[in-house]
Amino acid sequence: MEKPAAADPAFVATPRPNIFFTGKGGVGKTTCACATAVRLARAGRSVLLVSTDPASNLDEVLGVSLGLVPVSVPEVPGLSAMNLDPERAAAEYRERIVGPARGVLPESLVRSMDEQLSGACTVEIAAFDLFAGILAGETRPAGVEVVIFDTAPTGHTLRLLKLPAAWSGFLESNTTGNTCLGPLQGLKEKQELYAEAVRVLADPELSEVILVSRPQAASFRETERTRRELADLGICRLHLIVNGLLPGGTDPMAATWTSRAAAAVACMTPSLAGLPRTTVPLNASAFHGIAALGGFFSNGTADFSGPVHYEPPLAPSWDDLVNDLASDPHGMIMTMGKGGVGKTILAAKIAEALASRGISVVLATTDPASHAAEACANRSIEVVSIDAVAETAAYRDEVLASAGAGLDPEGRALLDEDLRSPCTEEIAVFRAFARIVERGAAGLVVCDTAPTGHTLLLLDATQAYHRELGRQTTIGVPESVLQLLPRLRDPAFNRILIVTLPEATPVHEAGALERDLARAAIRPYGWIVNQALGLTPTRDPLLRAKAGQEDRWLREVLSRPGRAYAVPWREDYLY
Amino acid sequence: MKTITVFDKPMCCSSGVCGPSVDPALARFADDLRWLAGQGVQVTRHNPAHDATAFMHDPIIREAMKDGGEAVLPVIVVDGEERSRQRYPERGELAAWANLNLASDPATSTQGDCCGKTGCC
Repeated sequence: MEKPAAADPAFVATPRPNIFFTGKGGVGKTTCACATAVRLARAGRSVLLVSTDPASNLDEVLGVSLGLVPVSVPEVPGLSAMNLDPERAAAEYRERIVGPARGVLPESLVRSMDEQLSGACTVEIAAFDLFAGILAGETRPAGVEVVIFDTAPTGHTLRLLKLPAAWSGFLESNTTGNTCLGPLQGLKEKQELYAEAVRVLADPELSEVILVSRPQAASFRETERTRRELADLGICRLHLIVNGLLPGGTDPMAATWTSRAAAAVACMTPSLAGLPRTTVPLNASAFHGIAALGGFFSNGTADFSGPVHYEPPLAPSWDDLVNDLASDPHGMIMTMGKGGVGKTILAAKIAEALASRGISVVLATTDPASHAAEACANRSIEVVSIDAVAETAAYRDEVLASAGAGLDPEGRALLDEDLRSPCTEEIAVFRAFARIVERGAAGLVVCDTAPTGHTLLLLDATQAYHRELGRQTTIGVPESVLQLLPRLRDPAFNRILIVTLPEATPVHEAGALERDLARAAIRPYGWIVNQALGLTPTRDPLLRAKAGQEDRWLREVLSRPGRAYAVPWREDYLY
Repeated sequence: MKTITVFDKPMCCSSGVCGPSVDPALARFADDLRWLAGQGVQVTRHNPAHDATAFMHDPIIREAMKDGGEAVLPVIVVDGEERSRQRYPERGELAAWANLNLASDPATSTQGDCCGKTGCC
């Protein structure tokens, strides 16, 4: 058994029972969460690692197939792991309800029960229920001392952390009838469970949130936004990890990298700078094997065998991409991919490039944590985003004005109560998405999406609602909603660019995304490999070694059938 | 005390606000049930998406679905007797089944079917 080393961060030396790792996509949440889990297990603790990311790659990192039930990680005694995959959680939840009815109730009814339970709110609730159960202790496996949550990129995670309070408030004030969680009478226990989850999250002795950030201004800005939102939820025990600091560049490009990182660190807000902080240096290669991660926080920069003489492959460039896209100035261009691969910045740069050729474009985003407006330098381009709070309020007003029109004050109050369900936000956001897509019918929309998991849930919801529309009257359904799925599937309307980095996990995840899209009958336009270090002139040994590591992934993408473009590394092209 | 049991179509929530479109009839019906409960009627609502066991164990609804399947829903049962299927009845009709006088409620005296079985006209 290892004793805690002097270099261990405070959250490892004195771990709380619940540790959350959060941050923008690609900042290294999973690596930091795994490193902490391995370190604590080695120190003799019983640790459960839980991924709440719908597009989790924890399986790949741990080399173990994960599901809704914890499994042991053979390489690391004391460590078990599970994956709160919302789709699988929803499937189990559905089966619990629908299973017993199969063969007993009419087949048509069983089928439509199944469809009803495939909507966005069921998917969200099923995963959230498991999450709240672990947090409140109800379904926490016996003997586990520390639960480490490796969370989805920020927007999705903030929603998950807000749900206990939202549902427990809703159940408290809702006095009648049914909710999406089931008949109200059966929910007394749930209400207690959610209230307990709220209490655990806000107790600094029980929960700690680790904010993981890259040493970059944009990354710190988002981290600061997250810190504020967590403070609003009463979550106050925080720790900052600055991940991937380049120790000292040896050529102009690397030196710029180092000095910009130093400037970004110096310009953090006082509240962020005042948090307990751990700085982790950049490594040339990804860590191989879970066991190697035990030294992540104390190793310093790993050795590399430089200098490397590396020649990159030839690849279609940024200009080729813009030329291809400009040939049809209508419909929608969507950037999709794992968090942190540069979807937002590429969407903004594509919009700028097309606008500079005189094409009229709108830049849109479906990411609740987007900074698309900041990323776009051309102020004359209209930027459209989905403000979940405003959309939900507008949707509520609209329903009260239409469906509530003939009701007396008490009836309206009843409808209003139903509309205050946290589910309403899902449908409001979905309708806002449909309106954004509709704008592509009149011009060109360049759309930045949320990280993969969140986007796939949105597409699943689109399909579920589309099936539902097939069953019921479509009176009162906006045209934008009716046309949504057909538009997304039409390759002449919708051009999807799958964005990846030349690294193992983003390339694997991009492949999985392409397969998921194929299941929804959506075919992407092409791939972009962003941030290829090998395409830059740097001679810095550490960066050159990193470029050598990337080569195999760059070539793998370029050799795929279909279009692929490569964009060289740029300091400002990461987010 | 009168007992009214509603066997709904599979729905997410009782007013349908979380689906792609909101059916005003559902909002109106939820309000009518609230009114009935306020008049002392015992109202129970079963949604197969949450509460399939109620459908599996109730002989009346199983009998109703034997031929028509899901299409017969919603089914309204009053004191153990099926009163309507495939539609959400108006408040006046519900009141009549529950032996309530619609006109006695000032909030609703101007709406509903006042010449129903209550004979209030």
